[in-house]
Amino acid sequence: MADVSGPPPITVRELRKVFRQATSGQPVVAIAHLDLNIAPREVVAIVGQTGCGKSTFFDLMIGLEHPTSGSILVGGRTPYGDFDHFRGHIATVFQQDRLLPWRSALDNVQLPLELLGVAKAERRERSASWLRRLGLESFLNAYPHELSGGMRQRVAIARAFALQPRILLADEAFGHLDEVTAAELRETFLGLARECESTAILITHQLEEAISVGDRIVVFGKSAKLLADIPVARWDRSEYATLREAIQGTLQTDQTDARLIRS
Amino acid sequence: MHREEYLADRQHRMSSRQTLLSIVLFLIVWELLSHFAPAMGVPAFAIPSLARIAQSLLTITPADVAVTLARVIGALVLSFVVGVLLAMAMYRSGGLESLLHPIVRLFMAVPVVSWILFAVLWFRGVEFRIGFVLMAVCGPVFLVDSLDAMRGVSRELRAMMRSFRPTTLQYFIKLMFPAIVPNLITSAKINLSLAIRVVTIAELVGAVTGIGHQLAVAQELFSVADVFAWTLVLVALLFLLEAAVTQVERRVLRWRT
Repeated sequence: MADVSGPPPITVRELRKVFRQATSGQPVVAIAHLDLNIAPREVVAIVGQTGCGKSTFFDLMIGLEHPTSGSILVGGRTPYGDFDHFRGHIATVFQQDRLLPWRSALDNVQLPLELLGVAKAERRERSASWLRRLGLESFLNAYPHELSGGMRQRVAIARAFALQPRILLADEAFGHLDEVTAAELRETFLGLARECESTAILITHQLEEAISVGDRIVVFGKSAKLLADIPVARWDRSEYATLREAIQGTLQTDQTDARLIRS
Repeated sequence: MHREEYLADRQHRMSSRQTLLSIVLFLIVWELLSHFAPAMGVPAFAIPSLARIAQSLLTITPADVAVTLARVIGALVLSFVVGVLLAMAMYRSGGLESLLHPIVRLFMAVPVVSWILFAVLWFRGVEFRIGFVLMAVCGPVFLVDSLDAMRGVSRELRAMMRSFRPTTLQYFIKLMFPAIVPNLITSAKINLSLAIRVVTIAELVGAVTGIGHQLAVAQELFSVADVFAWTLVLVALLFLLEAAVTQVERRVLRWRT
């Protein structure tokens, strides 16, 4: 990907993922059939109820799992098959901060840069500057247990952005924080994603979050059935209440609400 | 000073005082026994007086202490390296794990005396024999503990690490190894006391240096005072090594406090 200046397009074709239950051996269809295109630099929010296959889709996007059939292509390559090719290009902010408890905030942010072999002085400078931007200049040497939940999530965001990745993934990254902190971090995250010109995919179960961040909102039904693909720009701010109701109705009935169908 | 700190400090001082008291009590009882032993029909050499033991302590040869210490530390370092590397290989490869698991179980079930006899029957060099016995006893402890600890590393942290696409070596160096350090320190403490006891028995057979050899000499001379003195040295050595491991633990695990 080094020869491409911007982020590559993401193409999901006839994606299917079936797991076998560890205890009974019964197959579980996490993703039945999914087609989706995401353009470079787009910010897409995926909403769906618990167990709809959002997280499985995420694991497939990261390349931690391989599809049972169909494909995810990122610039023509698969995140699972061409795992090493995407080193330094995909970064994830998880639901929990997932910081290494034995590393200070600064060392946690440095981790992905260490894996890339970035020189010590440069990675220290880059990591410290991201932490400063996220308001943690006084906590560079603090261990995770010395930080609040919001601060830890900021460190996790700094760790993702320190890579300046082409693709940013956030898996309910702000869901467990209080509303004020979540809104603030969401805004920071979006601002940074736009500044880095990254493609961003956010999984969320909060409709407010989806509406406020996404260029597009993708609604997943059971087994990641694509119930709606909503370009938010086509909705006027005054119609957001209707939009929210329509998405809610779609999620509850597992059927596309007629109000979401717009030409 | 905060109230909790004051209470902790007071408790610490009280427990130190109690330790000292129990040692002094033991010494008084020992000294009395040594005086009354002949009257009770026990030969005088069986319970030597404290003065006699102190005399024996003065004859302790530092070279023997150093040799035993070097054997223990050398074998522990080797057991650590081999144990952790094998555990990493077994963690990576299920096939290797099923192949080696029964062998490791077997190793752990074999009594120390059998290892010593095998070593004497199979190998010639004294150092090699002692090293073999110590590694056969300590290696599996490091291996089993680190393998278990690696399996216990949270799924979330493993997925986070993999999402940044590390090489296999980076995965172990940056995630697995630091994550299992607390368990490795516990294993090191267990192995330390194990190694100190095993090395003495191994040195009893065939060695011409070391604390075990000196204990054998003392036994041949029926010198209980010497046995007592060398045993004291051995116990002091173990306490010193444990204190060193605790210092390392404090330094390495300061992120937990």
